[in-house]
Amino acid sequence: MPCERRPMRYGHSEGHTDVCFDEEGKWIVTCGSDGDVRIWDGLDDDDPKSINVGEKAYALALHRGRLVTAASNNTVQIHTFPDGDPDGILTRFTTNATHVAINSSGSRVAAGSGDFLVKVVEVSDSSKQKTLRGHEAPVLSVALDPKDEFLASSSCDGSVAVWRIDEQARVTSWNVLQKSSDVINSKSLCRLAWQPSGKLLAVPVGLAVQLYERDSWSHVSSLSDDFITKAVNVVIWSPCGKLLAAGSVGGNLAVWDVEAKLCVERQKHEKGYTVCGMAWHPSGVQIAYTDTEGCLGLLDGVCVSSASAQKSLKAPDTKAAKDYDALFDEEDDGLLDEEASESHSPVKKNADAEGDDEDYDMIPTTARPRNRGSFLDDDENSLDTGSVNVDRFSENNFGGSAEPATAPVKSRPAYDGPVPTPRQKAFQPSSTPAHLMHRFMVWNSVGIVRGYNDEHDNAIDVEFHDTAIHHAMHLSNSLNHTMVDLSQEALLLACEGTEELSSKLQCSHFSTWDTCKEWTVDLPKGEDVCAVCLGQGWAAAATSALLVRLFSIGGVQREMFSLPGPVVCMVGHGEQLLIAYHRGTGFDGEQCLGVQLLQFGRRRRQVIHGEPLPLSVKSYLAWMGFTAEGTPCFVDSEGVVRLLNRSLGNAWTPVCHTRENCKSKSDHYWVVGVHESPQQLRCIPCKGSRFPPTLPRPAVAILPFKLPYCHTATEKGQLEEQYWRSVLFHNHYSFLSSSGYEIDEEAQNQASKEQQELLMKMFALACKMEREFRCMELAEMMTQSVVTLAIRYATSSRRMALAQRLGQLALEKANQLQGEVQEQEDDDDEENYGSAKQNSRFRESCGGSRSRPSNARAEEEYEEEVEHEEQMETEEPAENRRSLLNPFNKGSRSPERPSPKPVNKEDRVNPFKVSGPGKSSAAPSGQPRVANVLDTMTPSSRKPGALPNPLSKQNKSPVLKPLVPRPKSKTQATLLQMNAPKLSSKKSEKEATVEKLRPVEVPPMPPAQDNCENRKPKTGFQLWLEENRKNILANSPDLEETDVIKEAMGCFRQLSAEDRLVRSSVCVGFTSPVTLFIPPPQHIVIFTKYIYIYCINIHLFYQTETGYSGTEARPFMVVLSSVRRCYIRTGHH
Amino acid sequence: MDPSEVEFLAEKETVKIIPNFSLDKVYLIGGDLGPFNPGLPVSVPVWLALNLKQRQKCRIVPPEWMDADKLEEIRELERKEDTFTPIPSPHYMELTKLLLNHAADNIPKADEIRTLVKDIWDTRIAKLRLSADSFITQQEAHAKLDNLTLMEINTTRTFLLDSLKYMYKLRSNLQPGSGKSQDY
Repeated sequence: MPCERRPMRYGHSEGHTDVCFDEEGKWIVTCGSDGDVRIWDGLDDDDPKSINVGEKAYALALHRGRLVTAASNNTVQIHTFPDGDPDGILTRFTTNATHVAINSSGSRVAAGSGDFLVKVVEVSDSSKQKTLRGHEAPVLSVALDPKDEFLASSSCDGSVAVWRIDEQARVTSWNVLQKSSDVINSKSLCRLAWQPSGKLLAVPVGLAVQLYERDSWSHVSSLSDDFITKAVNVVIWSPCGKLLAAGSVGGNLAVWDVEAKLCVERQKHEKGYTVCGMAWHPSGVQIAYTDTEGCLGLLDGVCVSSASAQKSLKAPDTKAAKDYDALFDEEDDGLLDEEASESHSPVKKNADAEGDDEDYDMIPTTARPRNRGSFLDDDENSLDTGSVNVDRFSENNFGGSAEPATAPVKSRPAYDGPVPTPRQKAFQPSSTPAHLMHRFMVWNSVGIVRGYNDEHDNAIDVEFHDTAIHHAMHLSNSLNHTMVDLSQEALLLACEGTEELSSKLQCSHFSTWDTCKEWTVDLPKGEDVCAVCLGQGWAAAATSALLVRLFSIGGVQREMFSLPGPVVCMVGHGEQLLIAYHRGTGFDGEQCLGVQLLQFGRRRRQVIHGEPLPLSVKSYLAWMGFTAEGTPCFVDSEGVVRLLNRSLGNAWTPVCHTRENCKSKSDHYWVVGVHESPQQLRCIPCKGSRFPPTLPRPAVAILPFKLPYCHTATEKGQLEEQYWRSVLFHNHYSFLSSSGYEIDEEAQNQASKEQQELLMKMFALACKMEREFRCMELAEMMTQSVVTLAIRYATSSRRMALAQRLGQLALEKANQLQGEVQEQEDDDDEENYGSAKQNSRFRESCGGSRSRPSNARAEEEYEEEVEHEEQMETEEPAENRRSLLNPFNKGSRSPERPSPKPVNKEDRVNPFKVSGPGKSSAAPSGQPRVANVLDTMTPSSRKPGALPNPLSKQNKSPVLKPLVPRPKSKTQATLLQMNAPKLSSKKSEKEATVEKLRPVEVPPMPPAQDNCENRKPKTGFQLWLEENRKNILANSPDLEETDVIKEAMGCFRQLSAEDRLVRSSVCVGFTSPVTLFIPPPQHIVIFTKYIYIYCINIHLFYQTETGYSGTEARPFMVVLSSVRRCYIRTGHH
Repeated sequence: MDPSEVEFLAEKETVKIIPNFSLDKVYLIGGDLGPFNPGLPVSVPVWLALNLKQRQKCRIVPPEWMDADKLEEIRELERKEDTFTPIPSPHYMELTKLLLNHAADNIPKADEIRTLVKDIWDTRIAKLRLSADSFITQQEAHAKLDNLTLMEINTTRTFLLDSLKYMYKLRSNLQPGSGKSQDY
């Protein structure tokens, strides 16, 4: 059966290495060119014990607490094992020893050296040495006969010799090797090996392994395989003596059954490096090997036959009768053991891993990436993960109990199912692992907290990004705090409890106004703080007793509640608390996390009730926090950033994959903050690790967000991604406004404008691609005003059917809007409680209706139209206000009301909107071009006649009568409209207009132009004049006809632009809509249709032409959703 | 041109800073700067960076090339090549001086960098002298030198031009025409 090749791991610096097992197989011992001997507790040990034996270590041998090494100081020395204390020098050479061997009883050590000598030394008395002379070149390898009789050695002179130790004489020798001048030049290390029984001597020669028989010293057989393509470097015998393994220069590993001469195992080094050291586990199940790059590897589950043989030999009393359940328990024990060991010595383990930057998988913030690494590699070997883990656990069993090889052999068939993943430990977001001497304890939007824990100092440095918040602090960390959070108000520290001291929570409330800034809380004995966080005015600590304790920022104990599982991470922001915890056990590398989102403040509630946290496959939680705007967000170990989508039932949407931005596989981004507007993912790029070092000071980088949409290479995909990203990242507005925060209306309008622009672009694209249904789908997402743009686009691209459908859609939307407004009005009338709920709802809908018109600014050229419409819309609140009698409502709404105005003033360039002097502007002395609808209309309708100029007010009250259309030249109409705003500067022109207009009143003027506009009815002025004629006449009865008109003109001019426009539009709507149109013919067709059909339903499409200034004359097209209110006001409807 | 003027020009180069204050966009004639968010790198001209640094309002992020390893490479290349090698910044000398004088605490291995830049400078100036020398001895009419920075040109300009002027005077005195005048 195939064995499993475990992934290589970094052991030593590059160069020659050697490896062996201790007798019990508990430890793997390696040495390397860095001069260190490392003692590994299995391959997964992150913290091998290191013993320095010299500048370089060439070879090692181990026997019963004695570690014999050949070091670069030309000596062969003994260290105690596993303590690593020097225990004397065995022997010296004139140059370094190349290989050492120890006999099975541990009494003799043989060493071969570069000075051609082989020495055999009694360990008990190093003066008893035997020197074997005869090689004519550096000795490559030595091997002691298990029966202590002979010694085999190979040398660079090409010979393999067998010596009788006692006589110090060469028994035989074979010139089978290639000659070379030195060990480093040799093609092969030619490590010899005696069969454990001593019967055979294996000699690697070229691509094959030659076997020589004891005593006769004749060549018995040769083992070779096609798999081995380069010279064999090392051979070893299995403990049972039936198998022989060889490692080659090309990195090939092969195992033969010696009797059958059958190659039973072939493995290739994962990178093809030269294998220079091999050792067989005493149980026979594993082979450890090292390469010339300093890496350590392990073949696991080698040849069960031998293992089972071993089993029967060594452990006849194993629990063969145990049932599967028992085995399962045993595995669980193994797992627990492992976890326990990890939790006991995380510092040590990680310290080593930290040193090796190349191997990113070995830098665990928790114990998990390592496991995951092995899982992934297992897939290559097409082995199910279950058995792998069983092996790993069994390995642990070797360590824990003295029952080698039994567990794996038996449990393998027993349980192949999913294996539970060790739970990830609790962590503070944006902190680096706690075992580091210099670490970031937190890095957030407020500041950076660094912890130092070295010989001279145990301290905490707090630095604020914005020095305006607080100056930097330096605290001594005598309590050994490991968990820290920092907010604008306070610094919260926590430490785990020790034997004597209970777990402590310490808060430095630096923003307090009194002099006592510090407070501490001792947790009950046995309860440890696992995670802490700060919000606005409160602090929280999750403890090992599955409790979340809340404190006020001043130190008052507040609520506490239980968590369903051990906490993983906890963050606070404003009044929100987000907690991730273990809701169960994950399997096969998955974590099983749940998340709770709680909201304090006015409305205390739980927003997310422990729903599962969607992590990427086989990943764990790496960061969790809130965006600066308060939306929960988390990052998993795969680098996927997910944001809570409040508008989609609190689903999590992936918004960025940080690993996609990495150049190398082992690079990561360490997230420190997320901002929604502007869209920024603030993180620190880490080369070859998961987290940054404290020095050199890392710089923050900004990553863009990118939703993983399909086809983002195409324009369609891009637009879709942009649109949904925009929608997602502006969700926080509604959240903020609903929770009572002030929001930046301008930014919100900007955002919705951007979204509508994107929709319009998508619409245009779909139109181009002749996807009319898709167009409709897009139009459904648009606001009503943008739909009209879409209609325009559709008509101009001659898609009549589409335009028609869009028209219906626009109508529906308008109806809906009306319905909302109506409902709102009703609500206001009926429910005058002024309750917060009511208000917020109103506010929301109000905000909605207000933002809608601004969406219409999707394209620059329509700005004015929108402006116009907006003014119409702003009438609506004015209307409401009038209809409202409830002071509560008024009061609650009044702060909201002014908001559209500043937007208008800042955003729009509208010549109408020279900010007028408000109400008084209606006076004759005021500006002719009056600004704000609200200002002019509201007061005038409320108290007619109260103001100095009654004329300007009366224009509101009169009933609008559909008049018999009179033929009227278009030029006149437009001229009037064009001139109206700027009459003051163009007196002569005005006169001319008046002259031309005069006939309107008295005898019908003959048509000046004989075109389709002939049917045009009255202009707004005419209507107005008719309404107000009586008034004017009443005021000044002795006026002549021309004077009346002049007077009327003056009054009319004093009306606001909007008013006039309303007037014009109303006139259009109720007489004959076509008349005011000067567009391409198809527009007329469509719009007339609409108006005919829908003018009753208060919807009025009208298009007019007007001139704001001398140079601009833009076509107008607006959906007049609020015309209705004009009617209401004028009492016509 | 005064070296201080060259330095003035160099101060227009941008450098990244990490401000410790919060400020909206600043609209200046030379362009908009900011917005400044505490803790977030932002590019500003050197003059502003130094000003803020002196007021302890920011930390300066050294330019990418201001790194001991990179400068060492450049130095080696500069020593190896006979011609001038391209330099990472047209104002490397001035920027090094400015940043190291005012913000040495923000730049890792400041002393090493100072030495390296000085080495590069010396090598280049030596090359410049050498080429000026060969230019004059070979009495060439024109020469082309690539990859020179403003400061380097500036250091040699006065000297080279003046000496050329004098040599021209001396040579023209040796002309036959002027020789005649000596005859008188």
